[in-house]
Amino acid sequence: MALNKAVLPDANRNLEQLYEEFVTRARALGTEVYRVPNLAKARELVGKLVQEMGVRKVALSESPLVTALDLAAAVAGAGAEVTGGNPRERAEAADLGISSFEMAIAETGTLVQDATEINRRLVSMLPPAHLALVSTNRLVGTLQEAINNLAARGQIPGYLAFVSGPSRTADIERVLTIGVHGPGKVVVIFIDEGGDAGE
Amino acid sequence: MSKAALRQATREALANTNVCSALGKFADNYVIAREQAYRHKDFEGLRREVARIKREAAERMEELAAQFTREATRRGATVFRAATAQDAREYIARLARSRGIKTIVKSKSMASEEIHLNKYLKEQGLDAVETDLGEWIIQLACQRPSHMVMPAIHMSRNEVAEIFSREIKKPVEPEISSMVQLARRELRRKFLSSWMGISGANIAVAETGTIVMVTNEGNGRLTTTLPPVHVIIVGLEKLVPCFTDIAPILEVLPRSATAQHITTYVTMITGTVPAVDPDGNYHEKKELHIILLDNGRTRMAADPVFKEALQCVRCAACLNVCPIYQLVGGVFGDVYTGGIGTVLTAFFTDPQKAQQVQNLCLGCGRCRDYCSGNIDLPALISELRRRTVEREGLGYVEKVIFERVLVNRRLFHRLLKTASRLQKPFARGGKIRHLPLFLSGLTEGRTLPAIADIPFRDRVGTLPRPDRATGRVAIFSGCLIDFVYPGIGESVAKVLAALGFEIVHPEQQTCCGYPAKQAGLTNIFAELARQNIAAFAGIDAGHILTACPTCAEALKFLYPELLAGDPVWSKRARALAEKVTDFSSFVFAHREKLVTFMIPLKKKVTYHDSCHLKRRLRVTGEPRQLLIDAGAELVEMTPADLCCGFGGSYSIKFPELSRSVLDRKLQAVLGSGAEVVALDCPGCQMQIGGGMDRQNPRVQVMHTAEILARCLAGTGRVQNG
Repeated sequence: MALNKAVLPDANRNLEQLYEEFVTRARALGTEVYRVPNLAKARELVGKLVQEMGVRKVALSESPLVTALDLAAAVAGAGAEVTGGNPRERAEAADLGISSFEMAIAETGTLVQDATEINRRLVSMLPPAHLALVSTNRLVGTLQEAINNLAARGQIPGYLAFVSGPSRTADIERVLTIGVHGPGKVVVIFIDEGGDAGE
Repeated sequence: MSKAALRQATREALANTNVCSALGKFADNYVIAREQAYRHKDFEGLRREVARIKREAAERMEELAAQFTREATRRGATVFRAATAQDAREYIARLARSRGIKTIVKSKSMASEEIHLNKYLKEQGLDAVETDLGEWIIQLACQRPSHMVMPAIHMSRNEVAEIFSREIKKPVEPEISSMVQLARRELRRKFLSSWMGISGANIAVAETGTIVMVTNEGNGRLTTTLPPVHVIIVGLEKLVPCFTDIAPILEVLPRSATAQHITTYVTMITGTVPAVDPDGNYHEKKELHIILLDNGRTRMAADPVFKEALQCVRCAACLNVCPIYQLVGGVFGDVYTGGIGTVLTAFFTDPQKAQQVQNLCLGCGRCRDYCSGNIDLPALISELRRRTVEREGLGYVEKVIFERVLVNRRLFHRLLKTASRLQKPFARGGKIRHLPLFLSGLTEGRTLPAIADIPFRDRVGTLPRPDRATGRVAIFSGCLIDFVYPGIGESVAKVLAALGFEIVHPEQQTCCGYPAKQAGLTNIFAELARQNIAAFAGIDAGHILTACPTCAEALKFLYPELLAGDPVWSKRARALAEKVTDFSSFVFAHREKLVTFMIPLKKKVTYHDSCHLKRRLRVTGEPRQLLIDAGAELVEMTPADLCCGFGGSYSIKFPELSRSVLDRKLQAVLGSGAEVVALDCPGCQMQIGGGMDRQNPRVQVMHTAEILARCLAGTGRVQNG
């Protein structure tokens, strides 16, 4: 679903400041955060990260941004393969899922995704690691702004996912443990100039 | 559940050091972490907003339920209104059977606990697996959650390892991260093979038909993504009118629950979405069933007092800060635990049990300050008590004490004087160390002060007077100062004399009535209120001063509320209330005159915040400043505002609990390294003084009035009273 630009918050908001705030909060939650100027650099970074993480199998969720980045080629170039089979099998077999997000909330280090499409949910939940792509200009300041933004759309999407860091639990003796049912590793790449593919 | 069974359960919980230490440790960290999570946030503003949204939603419950049903149905969901727990359980079992479903995954839902869903599904031959780690542990152990947010908080890693070993029939090391990975592997298989997912909901939005869920582990997302049939159980109190109402609730819920700015996952589901079933088949629209659960909620909404409980967002902050919950965990409640759990138990799960469990509330009021929904929980529990007493009546002894003795001032005071003589065999040096037989629990681990030979009311003629009076103050002494600690009263008089005030002590004044309120006897409370209002009516004094915060709360706040329906007495109650002030606030307001008389007290002093003074009268800084003015070196203990465990008759009903709360307080005092504990409440003085007398008699426990009076004596030294 395309985001209606008319409801985006203040165009003059300070993206640099919001990005810094996001980085601080997200890192505190255990999220790895990167920022690149354009699509070419993003493609390069994805390849590098896939190599560094020692990922063999990658599950992709199609989106204009993923297509524009030609990620299938980038993944292959990094020596990994894009998984096949039905959507469940593809996601369950992968070491890394990659999908794009539509909004980032600075104050809480949160990524927001319209996850109505089943693949998006599967690749962002089943593999042990997730790589999230988001356009830098989709940063908003607060949770309140994000909610207002969603409320201003004509229709609320069927499945909205707010993700703030890796899956966690403290159910045994209150000891914080990362990676229960969802990904234990979450990496986000902010892309400054994603063009129209920035969703 | 009987009274005896409840007391036995609390004893067992106290003996389980695991529960006490896990909950106690969590509670101490919680307050600090929560504070950080709310930095740069206006908690008071947020909770007022949440309270407004939820209050208005509760008033429009039917209308919102209809709107929600319309919207969710429009988006492809099937909405079922379940009047009772049985209706909800049967609907789910019927649905599973009709679809030929045998295996079900569940993510955490207190509503499903409330309707005892797992037990029912098992009886129906259905295999429903809890997938939240804590809930799974509890399910494997055949227990019920002891905490709304952290269901297995009472278990150690060793116990969990034992439970897991039994489940996978292989030895499991008690190592937390590997046990978490074990849970991931085991439950992942269940997720991938299940045809139905059952989840709860944190918010339901009427205008859009949206369900909001907050989770950290991700099991909620898997439960709502993988199986092709999804059932959501949502209590009617989760309804809010607008999508934008989500924001303030999401601001407070994770911060108050686990001191997180936000949970790892927030999921918002609006209608049906695509799914791929375990066989790999794609479904454009999966089945979504939403059960709107009533089960006592419309009855609660229609109740003029208890509708306030529907403002709860289930953050469980009231449990986390409750000194009793910290000791006994799940014993304080039923399916829902703690203070709010007691109220919910009365309406949703087990009214009989609630009648006993409500007695566990100490009435310290700490939960009120932390409630995300701005609920006056102690008032609700007090109302529960009142209704219980109204229905069930009192025990014989209580009946005589309250209905015959307390309302008859002459008889009451004569009995106290008699008791002063009768206690002689047990009292030594003004203290009682042992009591015979059934009262022994009262003196175990602490001493009790003896009833004074001469009550304060008989010492009025010999009190210090100002050289030149500039004003007149009427004293409301209260039972404890009048008959147990007349020395505090004399100190008050001395400080007032130094400020230039002469005092008057109306003879007809009697017990403020708070114990009757606590026992649920509103009519007797009102009778005592009228007696006291009459006693002070003709007195020519600009101020009415009391050195007992409980009495101050009664006179200043509770009397006007209590008599609000009576045109004549309500006016008199308000007139009295306007003049009432607590000792420290009064002296603080006139302290310029006092400081010049001071000879410094060169001692390390820590200050104990009495519940009624801090949480009702909102007085915390004044006594501290007076102590500093008096030359004390003030050292804070943590936490300074934890209840001492006295709670009036609570220490008689639950002596073991009262003493355990006291132990935590004594540890805090000793940890501060102070030589003197200052406080403003004779009840706290009795409790902390009695405990300290056993633990470390060198630490003195004194009322602020006594400390100031001693400094005025000119010796600058604190002596034993």
